[in-house]
Amino acid sequence: MEKRLIHLNVNGEDYELYINPKTLLVEAIRDIIGLTGTKRGCESGSCGACTVIVDGMSVKSCSVLAVQADGKKILTVEGLEQNGKLHPLQRAFLDYGSFQCGFCTPGMLMSAKALLDENPNPTKEEIKEGIDGNICRCTGYNSIIRAIEAVAKGQYKEG
Amino acid sequence: MIRDFTYLKPSSLSEALKMLKDYGEEAKIICGGQSLLILMRQGMVTPSYLMDIKHLDELRYIRFDERNGARIGATATHREIERSPLLRQHYPVLPEMERRLATIQTRNWGTIGGNLAHADPAGDPGPVLVALGASVTLKSLDGERTIPLEEFFVDYFETALRKDEILYEVSIPKPQRRSACTYTKFNLIESDMGIVSCACFVALEDGEVMKDVKIVLGNAGPVPLRARRAEEMLKGKRGDEGLFEEVAKVCSEDSQPVTDIHASEEYRRHLVYVLAKRMLRKAFSEAKVC
Amino acid sequence: MKNYVVINTHIHNIDGIAKVTGRAQYTFDITLPNMLYGKILRSPHPHARIIDIDVSKAERLPGVKAIVTGKDTLGIKQGIWRRYKELCDEPILAIEKVRYIGEPVVAVAATREEIAEEALDLIEVKYEVLPAVFEPPEAIKKGAPVIHEGFERNINVTRHIEWGDVDEAMKEADYIREDWFRIDGQHHVCMETRCAVSSYTPDGKLLVYTSTQAPYYIQVLLAWVLGLKESDVRVISKYTGGGFGGKFELDAAQFVSAILSMKTYRPVKVVFSREEDFIASKRRTPMYYYTRTGVKKDGTFVARETRVLTNGGAYTGMGATALYLTGFFHSFPYKWKAYRYDGFRVYTNTMPSSAMRGFGAPQATFCSELQIEWIAKELGIDPFEIRRKNGHTPGYEVPGQAYIQSCGLRECLDEIEKWVKSKGELPPNRAIGISCYGFMSGGIFNWFDTPYSFSSAVVQINYDGKVDLFVGAQDIGQGSNTTLAIICAEELGVRVEDIRVHSGDTAVCPPDLGAWGSRQTLMAGNAVKMAAADAKRQLLEIGAAKMRPNIVYDLDIRDRKLINLSRPERWVDYFEVVKDALRGKEGQKIIGRGFYTPHRKGMISPAYSYGVQAVEIEVDRETGKIKILNCVTAHDCGQPINKLGVLGQLEGAVAMAAGFGYLEYMPFEEGKLMNPNLVDYKVMRSTEMPETEVIEIETYEPEGPFGAKEAGEGLTNPTAAALGNAIFHAFGLQMKEVPMTPERIWRALREKKEK
Repeated sequence: MEKRLIHLNVNGEDYELYINPKTLLVEAIRDIIGLTGTKRGCESGSCGACTVIVDGMSVKSCSVLAVQADGKKILTVEGLEQNGKLHPLQRAFLDYGSFQCGFCTPGMLMSAKALLDENPNPTKEEIKEGIDGNICRCTGYNSIIRAIEAVAKGQYKEG
Repeated sequence: MIRDFTYLKPSSLSEALKMLKDYGEEAKIICGGQSLLILMRQGMVTPSYLMDIKHLDELRYIRFDERNGARIGATATHREIERSPLLRQHYPVLPEMERRLATIQTRNWGTIGGNLAHADPAGDPGPVLVALGASVTLKSLDGERTIPLEEFFVDYFETALRKDEILYEVSIPKPQRRSACTYTKFNLIESDMGIVSCACFVALEDGEVMKDVKIVLGNAGPVPLRARRAEEMLKGKRGDEGLFEEVAKVCSEDSQPVTDIHASEEYRRHLVYVLAKRMLRKAFSEAKVC
Repeated sequence: MKNYVVINTHIHNIDGIAKVTGRAQYTFDITLPNMLYGKILRSPHPHARIIDIDVSKAERLPGVKAIVTGKDTLGIKQGIWRRYKELCDEPILAIEKVRYIGEPVVAVAATREEIAEEALDLIEVKYEVLPAVFEPPEAIKKGAPVIHEGFERNINVTRHIEWGDVDEAMKEADYIREDWFRIDGQHHVCMETRCAVSSYTPDGKLLVYTSTQAPYYIQVLLAWVLGLKESDVRVISKYTGGGFGGKFELDAAQFVSAILSMKTYRPVKVVFSREEDFIASKRRTPMYYYTRTGVKKDGTFVARETRVLTNGGAYTGMGATALYLTGFFHSFPYKWKAYRYDGFRVYTNTMPSSAMRGFGAPQATFCSELQIEWIAKELGIDPFEIRRKNGHTPGYEVPGQAYIQSCGLRECLDEIEKWVKSKGELPPNRAIGISCYGFMSGGIFNWFDTPYSFSSAVVQINYDGKVDLFVGAQDIGQGSNTTLAIICAEELGVRVEDIRVHSGDTAVCPPDLGAWGSRQTLMAGNAVKMAAADAKRQLLEIGAAKMRPNIVYDLDIRDRKLINLSRPERWVDYFEVVKDALRGKEGQKIIGRGFYTPHRKGMISPAYSYGVQAVEIEVDRETGKIKILNCVTAHDCGQPINKLGVLGQLEGAVAMAAGFGYLEYMPFEEGKLMNPNLVDYKVMRSTEMPETEVIEIETYEPEGPFGAKEAGEGLTNPTAAALGNAIFHAFGLQMKEVPMTPERIWRALREKKEK
């Protein structure tokens, strides 16, 4: 087995990793780079807790090899806030209580962000579909949907 | 845990084909990996060589022309198919099917080639593409061959792909006038694979006479199953509720579902009947207004 | 209308920033220097004697640092019902015998996870397979395999609850109905699987990071099984990725990581895979219910007798509590002239069953509410009327069992009736079903045998007026940190942002029985209120000197102002008072202490929450598939404290309880769980979640802090029942099995057509 040198840009920072090619993207992010905001909740690619954004697309980082993300731009939950200023989705989640234990929250925020980046004016159905890859056992989803709707409606406009 | 492997990253299709020639016996191709990686993590698939073709953009396209119909490259993602204006215009059932395929994360990274090569009998694209009369082109260093998709699926998780071949492209014949294709699956969670599923293709002569029918059942057998006896009963006939009812029963009889923890064989057969009836009805009425 | 400053206002979860920014460190995220990874070899047999364990090959694998079997432990059979030694039956690492597929047998610590896994494959365990039983009716037969010595017919626990004379009372009944039900189990599916990082150091002290609902329980139980002093064990659980009843007992992740660390003197991390989490934890108790109910023709309830067999699985755990609570809450929330319950918890060779949100009450409510609906239909009585007629009212005494003080059931019924009526005539494929419920706010029992108060709290006021609140109550996502901060703030007279909550650390926080049985808002809340009042009193002493009120004791602190209650325009700044008070107390921080243990509060709980829920479904008559469209709940939790928290609890409960009702099931084959993954075990996703509406019925519960009661567990009780009643109205089906899957509905419809 030959290790491979790859470059990952995570939250705007460049990282050089020399890894076993079987390393999953989530392992590269959590265990090697050390950003533990992204979680893991299953072995079957079902729960969505590991969701990150790669080149603007939400993906399950447990089902992507790190080598396949070589040279790509990755966004994790740690990259949402800018200089201590929370992202509108984060502010909305706080206002609407869209989390409880918080374990699914990082992945959920990533799915929500990817959804709104692609579709700034989603219908409720589209929001539900946008987060149906993320299991939440605590909230019953409706508070998450309300938060996303509020952001989409412009309640958290910057400035 | 994933077993160690040697990672191969060909820079072009021809390099990939050469690598397959060299390592084919011990190699597995990874594209989106949405099915393969799970199997590898469970230790069920342990290749010595893993050849990555995800980055081969020469295989990533969705094209259409009036004469030849659609051609979809193997590394086109589900999401690209879901959002393709070309496909939405000419084969609306495809984006519709993709919309309900798994979840967005899977669709963003997973590919049509990977899905078809995985040959999960419960997979969504299979029945729909078979109903549309699709073919697949398989390439190797020695040449290429195009076979009907129906023949591509051989058994549970088994395809006609040879060890040195790559699935290169899916081609769909140009849409017939006055035709429609519908698809649905029965599940409890929206993004789940179907407990059973059904795709129906209906093409009409002038009037309401069906000249071509394809009924393809998903997860009701080891591969997408053509309900041929049922199809024959419809060809040349005028569409009508009583006929659909009868034909749906035949679909049910001819299906080969299993009993598992999600549903019994008996219930699956019943669902086949219900879905076939509904999809026939829908395809027929959509074809009429085409 | 009460005039509170912070109670029931919109307040952000105080752990929010940590959670939405990814800063929160769960046990899952924790790594310590020099750490090893632990893995567990589990029994492949449901019932077998362990003949021999050969670890020699595994020991030689480079990177393996320690291997432990049951023989290497003190062999203590632990249990959470410590008062009853015979119910302490679980050694965790099996000794001599395995009793369920998945039971831990060998534990390995290695430098990498992969190596530990490889080592498992190299371990050879020789078993003598024994005959096994999987269902209670089989397990109680004479001649069935004995699972635990000394438990005849595998009957583990029995419970009898009775008042009135059922046989006599039944004679007064005009209509009697009996039904049998079968309720399947359910799994917690916490997003964070069970995990622990333990570090044993040469000074003989053990530090354990773990995902738990009750750090104090884990501290005590670990000390017990490891032969350590309780105070030498420190359990930390700052952020917990879900609990739902599955994480307040000692589990193998904690035990194994601790014992491996004790052997290696290195930190050891054990994280359950999702599959392990499914097969080797404790699930909601599956039950066989027989219930016979007699009513008068005007709908007055006369008598009910119930017999229940619960599938206890291989060990007791908290399963005995589920047996108790199901029997009690099967009478709720109605007045019965006579009631008799006999419950039998039966050992089987399956995964132990124990506690899950509702703790026996969802099962009880399902059977009760469906039967009541069918009775109402038979007698031609309106479903709301029959419930109103018999429902609990404030001041009612459940004979010999409980004294109901606050009870908003009637108002809840009125609200839901209004909603149902407003829906008018429903389209052909829609139906509505309702259910009532009642639930406890913490139990009065001390089966754990703790010498400590059930809840304690310490309030510490610093020079700058900010407050450190120390509680043993555990925040597992339900928001108890925030709720307790709100109670503290209101009582002390400051704002929530002035308070920093310390929880989840047994070395620093006072003991508390933890987050289960819906006890924390009431019990920890009372402790916090008392501590805050104690601290406030010390400030008021100084305030009195400054303000010199005419009537002594006429001062209070509200919203950072120490005010004269009769002349509120006269006030002194709280922050100034603190400074004076601290200096006045020889430079000591102001410390207030509080605690709470229920005394003489009946047999079950000091207070009960109530509610009524209506569920609207759309049905596909050909396939039996149902879609839940709307779920409306009117509930009485006394005084809501944490507004966002209560709403979150309600909506989350609906998702979990609906899953229990029609989606989630745990099929076993010969003791093997057939769907231990999130593909085959179905939980609600955003696409299945109905619209939800909440109607708060405020009452005042004298037992609770500011009149508060529980909210969140009781809300899990009614949904399956409401679904069952909706299905009854949609299809005319009397569903006797849970979950009510489409296939079961389809079969029932077919059967009905054939009749």
